[in-house]
Amino acid sequence: MTALTEERLIGIRSGDRVLCPPLEWDPETGAELAHDFVDVGPAGTVESWCWVAEPSEQHPLAHPFAFATVRLDGADTGLIHVVDAGRADAMSVGMRVAPRWRAERRGHLTDLEAFVPGEDPVSGGGAGAGEPVEMMGYNASIAYTTPVPDNVVRSEAAAAEGRFLGLQCPICGRTYTGGRGYCPVDSIALTAEHEIDLPQKGVATSFTIVTPVQYPGQTETEPFARVHVLLEGTDVVLSYQALVDTPNEDIRTGMRLAPVWASAAEMEDGAGDTREAGLIGWIPTGEPDATDPDLVNRLC
Amino acid sequence: MSHAPAAIVGIGQTHHKKKRWDVSLGGLVREAARRALDDAQMDWGDIDAVVIGKAPDLFEGVMKPELYLTDALGAHGKPMFRVHTAGSVGGTTGIVASHLVETGRHRRVLAVGYQKQSEGNAQFALGSGKGASLGAGGAFAPFIRSYIQRSGAPLDVGPMVAVKDRQNALKNPYAHLRLEDISIESVKASPMMWDPLRFLESCPSSDGACAMVFTDQAGGEAAAADGRQPAWVLGSAMRSEPFGFPGRDPVLPQGARDCADDVYAQAGITRPREQIDCAELYVPFSWYEPMWLEAHHLAGPGEGWQLVESGATALDGSFPVNMSGGVLSSNPIGASGLLRFAEAALQVRGMAGEHQVDGAKVAVAQAYGASAQYFSMWVVGASLDPFG
Amino acid sequence: MALDHAPGSHVPGQHPDDIAIIGWAQTPMVRHTDKTETQLLLEVVTDALDDAGLTRADVGFTCAGSCDYVAGQAFSFVQNTDAIGAWPPKRDSHVEMDGAWALYEAYVRLLMGDEVDVALAMGSGRSSTADPALIYPMEMDPFYLAPLGADALSLAALQAQAVLAAGAVTERQLAEIAARCRRDAQSNPYAQVSGEFDVDELLAEDAVRAPLRRHDLPPITDGAAAVVIARAEKAKAVCENPVWITGIAHCAELHYPGMRDLTRSLSARKAAEAAGVADGPVDVAELQAAFTHEEPLLVEALGLAPTVTVNPSGGPLAANPIMATGLVRIAEAAAAIRDRGASRTVGHSTSGPCLQQNLVCVLEGGRA
Repeated sequence: MTALTEERLIGIRSGDRVLCPPLEWDPETGAELAHDFVDVGPAGTVESWCWVAEPSEQHPLAHPFAFATVRLDGADTGLIHVVDAGRADAMSVGMRVAPRWRAERRGHLTDLEAFVPGEDPVSGGGAGAGEPVEMMGYNASIAYTTPVPDNVVRSEAAAAEGRFLGLQCPICGRTYTGGRGYCPVDSIALTAEHEIDLPQKGVATSFTIVTPVQYPGQTETEPFARVHVLLEGTDVVLSYQALVDTPNEDIRTGMRLAPVWASAAEMEDGAGDTREAGLIGWIPTGEPDATDPDLVNRLC
Repeated sequence: MSHAPAAIVGIGQTHHKKKRWDVSLGGLVREAARRALDDAQMDWGDIDAVVIGKAPDLFEGVMKPELYLTDALGAHGKPMFRVHTAGSVGGTTGIVASHLVETGRHRRVLAVGYQKQSEGNAQFALGSGKGASLGAGGAFAPFIRSYIQRSGAPLDVGPMVAVKDRQNALKNPYAHLRLEDISIESVKASPMMWDPLRFLESCPSSDGACAMVFTDQAGGEAAAADGRQPAWVLGSAMRSEPFGFPGRDPVLPQGARDCADDVYAQAGITRPREQIDCAELYVPFSWYEPMWLEAHHLAGPGEGWQLVESGATALDGSFPVNMSGGVLSSNPIGASGLLRFAEAALQVRGMAGEHQVDGAKVAVAQAYGASAQYFSMWVVGASLDPFG
Repeated sequence: MALDHAPGSHVPGQHPDDIAIIGWAQTPMVRHTDKTETQLLLEVVTDALDDAGLTRADVGFTCAGSCDYVAGQAFSFVQNTDAIGAWPPKRDSHVEMDGAWALYEAYVRLLMGDEVDVALAMGSGRSSTADPALIYPMEMDPFYLAPLGADALSLAALQAQAVLAAGAVTERQLAEIAARCRRDAQSNPYAQVSGEFDVDELLAEDAVRAPLRRHDLPPITDGAAAVVIARAEKAKAVCENPVWITGIAHCAELHYPGMRDLTRSLSARKAAEAAGVADGPVDVAELQAAFTHEEPLLVEALGLAPTVTVNPSGGPLAANPIMATGLVRIAEAAAAIRDRGASRTVGHSTSGPCLQQNLVCVLEGGRA
């Protein structure tokens, strides 16, 4: 990579062959390679190519180009890179190409901007890195569009109205929330016909208080609680629930809780975006704590 | 049992660190694999098949890395297999590799587990990068609180485990964390991260790799005849259970118990606490030591913490646990399970150096993953018939 | 490599370690589904076990194949545990590979010869949720390929050009393969792309990635598949017509396509040798040839005679559910025996750039 900043292409000796690109070890045997680098090219011969009429955002050129396997002079293997040839009919197996270098080089494969037809390399000017390149970063971005299952849509719509929707398995009677589409015990699909409304009273069965670490994506700055809440009179436990207006030191197993739903105005503001639909969190009701010792076992 | 025995004749691991930016992914796995091959007195060409295990590809940004790593592991022209069973994956890797030998598919198999968490952001990958991320500690803390409340364990038990494992790590040259002056007091003085878990009761995030070479019975016996003690796989098992449903107990999961029952039955173990000499368990947060001791029938219900408190699980105790320093001292996730399995094998081979348990002949290792849903376990012995 | 088969040594099904496919299912293969991977798996697991006359409780070992990068989520397979009936907890594994490799792990697990006598392999993927051109560079060498955005299609096109330049095949022959697959797919109720296509019209289309045209490429597909296998005694007890796995093997080769002879597939050839393809005549081969040029390349590497019927299901050119495509090939190869009277068939799966990794499975019906 350091050689790239100096507009040089290098290969590595492996037995009586020269591998370009210079891999870290022999790809056929796994054997260590002595770091015996040799200059190759600068020109080479196209062994295979394909034409990219519509480049992706990850491709190094924004206009149509060719990917090609280029056997550089002095190398015994093909380097895969791009050829900026203008038109597909300018490409052929056996054609000669030479590198065109970028002006700003940072020890990255794309310091070699592209190969171009001909024998003569095109310098980008500027200087080499001056010191060895030890890291090479690259960014890739992939956007996913994932459909939301019907049950989840219905569950969130209910939450927006201040209701907990459960799905009760007709075989074992267990109840699931969050629009879960199946009973994992009986392996059957759960659909709208299995929906039931769940009570708006809960009891804390366990909890944690999280001191947020500020890694990327963390939105909290102060210690916050997450509570497992058993909906009274059901087998449903809602895990990792937020609390509202409750000092962390007051939280305890057995405390009775009521849900706090976003108002229509708060929903408009997107208050539900980072929480489960319209549920903002839970607030203690002040009723006497539940004392059932089995509560600590109710976590799922 | 109709299958043939498998022997472990080579073990290697990297020095585990926060960031191994001195090597590429390939360089990292080769460092461990090369040590395992050297230990086995083999070279790349002697290996018939490779099994690689690691946790999510999003951690490093290399998808299906078995493809890119084929060359690095000398697997050109060979079967290259990739497993991924969350945190238990390292254990699964060892089990799949041993099955390939035990069923006679291959004679010599290389198993490799690794993670290079420094090349991406693991917490980002875990939390999908949005909202008030809990981290793994936040996910497990409610289970741990329930264990404490159920068992009535004193709060010092977690810190005791944290101190013991870090002291063991000082005897392990490959361990990541080296906390020379750790004490119960310093653990209790460390920040509360995921109440009731403190910072020093939690695992680090590491770069590292582990590798093992498996051979058939003839290979194991040849190594033994050559004065190189093999470890024999006496039993192995995997279990999975769904994430959440009414009736599941994530504190002492049924999957963990079933896994233990299965593996002890295969190994002919009826009194695990007496017949097993030491255990290397997947303990990323201190309290998982007493919890797994109970789930794996190494302590009675509610008695795991008493075993810890009595000092029995210390390196010089009657039932040492996590002699290597455990996950609390090194946690390259994809390798962590295989490291547990490897430590058990090192112990019965008598090759654990300063963290060797005197006279260890039978050892158990375990790994778990996801929300305590995936389990892998094995028992290894210094001979095929250690109770005979 | 160990001997992975016992050529002609016995009638399949006579040895207790003989393992048979006894049931399978696939979802309809579609361009896009709103169903989650878990829902897709729930359906195919139920259907495959129905096909075998079993229930989830009969299954001793499950193994799934799926990919976080296809799903766009770390640990994406964990929720799929809901589909397998893992309560009480089940012996279970997962490979970040095509379901064909899940079948391989399940096969090896059954060879252990303990109380586990039925296993289930699955594969699932929804490719519709993101652009494959952006996902697939992530599986390439992070120094020399991924930074170029070198996607699977571009590397396949480099291989196609090499095959064409070597004179092994013509562009017209590639179009004929596409037309044949999509014609055959008309009788496959699960196929996504089927119909009668005129070769001249196909050849008149613009190239998508020259030399590859639209018809040389697989469709983007959402789908899942499941296959049930059993040890000999169990297979014969529950199934009238088990399809025996008489050989299964896989092999990888070096990663960087510029260092390989792209007109050959060393790993496919070695996998075929290890699986014993040449030990008898082959009636039907279901190949994971997602690009037209891969079919002649694989036919040669596997040593298949010109008389072999290739991809009568339409193959991946008719439906390409990534992470299940290979397992579907094996299920189709089994169906060719049980449902359509073939005696000996081959299922094939592949992974990685330019056929880097290949799996070959040889199937036989019961011999008279």
